[in-house]
Amino acid sequence: MDAILQKESLGRWIAKLQERGEVYAPEFVEDAWEFTKVERGASVELDHTNTVLPAKGFVFPQREVLYRFRIENGKTPELTDTELSVKPMVVFGVRPCDGRATVRNDRVFTCGVSDPYYQARRDSVVFIGLACNAPPSPNCFCVAVGGSPCSEDGLDVLMTDLDGRYHVKALTDKGRDVVNAASDLFQAATAADRNEVSNAQVAALEYPQRSISAMDLVVAALKRNFESPLWDQLARTCIGCGACTYLCPTCHCFDINDEVTSKSPLTGARVRTWDNCQFPDFTMHSSGHNPREDTGARLRQRICHKLLYFVETHNMQQCTGCGRCITHCPVGIDIVRIANVMEEGVWQ
Amino acid sequence: MNGNAYLPQLARIIHIKEEVPGARAIKTFRVEFMNGGGFDHEPGQCAMISVFGKGESMISIASAPTITDYKQFSIMRSGRVTTAIHDMKVGDVIGVRGPYGNRFPVGDWKGRNLVFIGGGCGLAPIWPVIQTAVANRSDFGRITVFYGGRTSRDIMYAAELEKLRGEADVYLSIDSPEDGWDGYCGFVPANVMDKPQNPHNAIAITCGPPIMIKFVINNLREMGFADEQIYTTIENKMKCGIGKCGRCNVGKDYVCVKGPVYSWAQLKSLPQEY
Repeated sequence: MDAILQKESLGRWIAKLQERGEVYAPEFVEDAWEFTKVERGASVELDHTNTVLPAKGFVFPQREVLYRFRIENGKTPELTDTELSVKPMVVFGVRPCDGRATVRNDRVFTCGVSDPYYQARRDSVVFIGLACNAPPSPNCFCVAVGGSPCSEDGLDVLMTDLDGRYHVKALTDKGRDVVNAASDLFQAATAADRNEVSNAQVAALEYPQRSISAMDLVVAALKRNFESPLWDQLARTCIGCGACTYLCPTCHCFDINDEVTSKSPLTGARVRTWDNCQFPDFTMHSSGHNPREDTGARLRQRICHKLLYFVETHNMQQCTGCGRCITHCPVGIDIVRIANVMEEGVWQ
Repeated sequence: MNGNAYLPQLARIIHIKEEVPGARAIKTFRVEFMNGGGFDHEPGQCAMISVFGKGESMISIASAPTITDYKQFSIMRSGRVTTAIHDMKVGDVIGVRGPYGNRFPVGDWKGRNLVFIGGGCGLAPIWPVIQTAVANRSDFGRITVFYGGRTSRDIMYAAELEKLRGEADVYLSIDSPEDGWDGYCGFVPANVMDKPQNPHNAIAITCGPPIMIKFVINNLREMGFADEQIYTTIENKMKCGIGKCGRCNVGKDYVCVKGPVYSWAQLKSLPQEY
């Protein structure tokens, strides 16, 4: 199902959706783009490149209460399960790299034992994507990891900017629902419109992106170089800040801790928070033994998880080429460069 | 929320035994599920133990699967959660969720000789296997148990091991000589080398500190054990237990799901990050 929305009607579509729940869209706040809640009547212009934080927080928040506990002195603990009622939520302006990240996060959180918190949010959130048909950011490499600037994967709707109007393609039931909610705002898409979308997609692929010279050989290269001294060289500048993983749309590692609010009676919550494989204590046993003792081993873990282990398990890279980990690394560690170095076996 | 995989069941501590005193204290806790809860487990599986207000730790289930009245955990005091458990008394309530992980394929070992090699707290994960083998004694050939602690005071399950002598050959060791010790003096791998085991039709199961496992495996291979005949467990740091939190991975495997039990043939194909 596809349709045309005039750009001046975007605000009215958002207003219609706000009658049902919250709407989020990218906003330039201080010095960076971020997803913010759209206030009623506020104007939204979808002209961002990409947000600093990915869209994963809508389905996997940075902090989440798993349950609460209360223990009166000497009595049986009372555990209160989280009543997770996620409000219907629509997120505009999700770039295709973050859409493809959702496909990967689904694999992690819904395969095997399903994660009830992720699942509840995933069922409630509608991701409205925006194809990238303007020149990419300097560190974009979605094509190198099998994606495209116009990928529909993991999105409920894909919008394509056609100069004055949007082509709006609903991809899922949730997507059709949000379009149907404001059907009077949309016009039928014509063959000419669709032709224009195709041309825009072709043009989008013409923009040069960063490239990985032989992605199909990277799996073998990472296996071959597991013990290579290259890792220590590549990680020499790493300060272990973890920006790469916090900003990554597919990084999903988390910690679980108890937050105590009162000692007597003992009350508190078991809470999960994003965690980070670049931190030394991430893998440290209580004995002090640490399977990944140095920054080289930890960098290797991050790169191998994305470009080797996830491929072995799920037959896809756990990287969608958004480039955030490169752009925001304070010391210039660069996954694209590392992939190329591994394949070539040399680093200058 | 239905099916909240993170919510533990409540279990009451019904018995505490001090196995080992001192800085590396080990206590064995028997817990009984409350409110009609509980779960079945297989030898080798683990459970996530909660002390509310402190957190969770993954602990191997040390009781035999046939015991349904309680579950037993032998816990070394090592960090925040295990210290809190060590401070608990009979009657106190903890949380337990599980079972997690795979199991020792005991059913595949019928008719074979079993060689168990444990060190320190590493007797606990293989204890349910020993119990299962002894309970079905006629299904197996010779059963041999090597176990060592740093000193005689570090020997856990001391009384149970003595009782085991009727069913199995038991070889105990301590690191350095002590008055009154009539067992072996030296490290566990050396004790094994001192009493060479015939690899023919045998399975070796080893668990203990990573460094001990490494030397034991080397020694077993020197005796002629094939990689497929050697089993061990790895227990990386874990938080979720269900393959989501990303903490315990070794290569592509999440140990909480694919492990903790591996044959050396399987384990040596993974990166040595454990």
